[in-house]
Amino acid sequence: MRGRRTKVLVEPPAHATGDIAFNLIVFFLVCASIQPDSGRPQTLPSSETVEEGQQTENIEVAVSRAAVIINGDVTPMNRVFTRLKALLAGKQAPDDRVVVVKSESDTQYSRWLTITSMIEDAGGVVTLQLEEERIVEVP
Amino acid sequence: MKLTRRKTRAEVPSMAMGDIAFNLLIFFVILARATDDSHLQWTPAKVSNLANAGPSMVSVLVDKDNKLYLNGQQIGIAELAGRIETALGDAVHGERTVLVKIHNDTLAQRFEPVIEAISEAGGDLVHIVEEEKQ
Repeated sequence: MRGRRTKVLVEPPAHATGDIAFNLIVFFLVCASIQPDSGRPQTLPSSETVEEGQQTENIEVAVSRAAVIINGDVTPMNRVFTRLKALLAGKQAPDDRVVVVKSESDTQYSRWLTITSMIEDAGGVVTLQLEEERIVEVP
Repeated sequence: MKLTRRKTRAEVPSMAMGDIAFNLLIFFVILARATDDSHLQWTPAKVSNLANAGPSMVSVLVDKDNKLYLNGQQIGIAELAGRIETALGDAVHGERTVLVKIHNDTLAQRFEPVIEAISEAGGDLVHIVEEEKQ
């Protein structure tokens, strides 16, 4: 007598699909959360460290929507970096490398960041000079 | 004639464990998003020479409607410095990173007091921006 071979049905266990989905979600969440932010670090000395007497000796950069004025001279955007580099050349002490940035109230953030980045790339230390009286919108 | 009562077994279906775990996960993900600022609308400025921002406990955001947020929660400029100082606690220099996310069209009258407040709180500023393609 010839015995019949019983066929074994091999299929993934249906009850494990929930666990598989769970592990997939955890995997993608971890992948998403470790995506790093890219940014530009900026070191700003606190306002107390810059005395009024020193400010006159430091380089002053006035930023407005239309122009960049370095120590009173209107400077084209493509010459800002070279001008700053020349002014900062030979200055070693951090206090000498302070660049005071004054911004008009209508200056856009993207423009301000481009100019302050140029100052830092030229070796300057950005310091903000804010107006004493300013209307601040509180949400 | 005496009828015997049929005993029914009550137990938690093990089949549903995966679904329960899935729903719990969704719940905690939604809860986590409340302290996250990824749902806020802003366009980053474009600058060259970027670096990795690294880990940070504090994120300050000014959205396209000029609203100010600290870790995803809307606040006023007057309380920003104090709240950042509290959030940073006794963290040493190098671990006091504050991510600054400012909409690219925001004007100086709005963003300069924000930057000043972060500086006053002793935070290490990192402007979150996009790489400028040249």
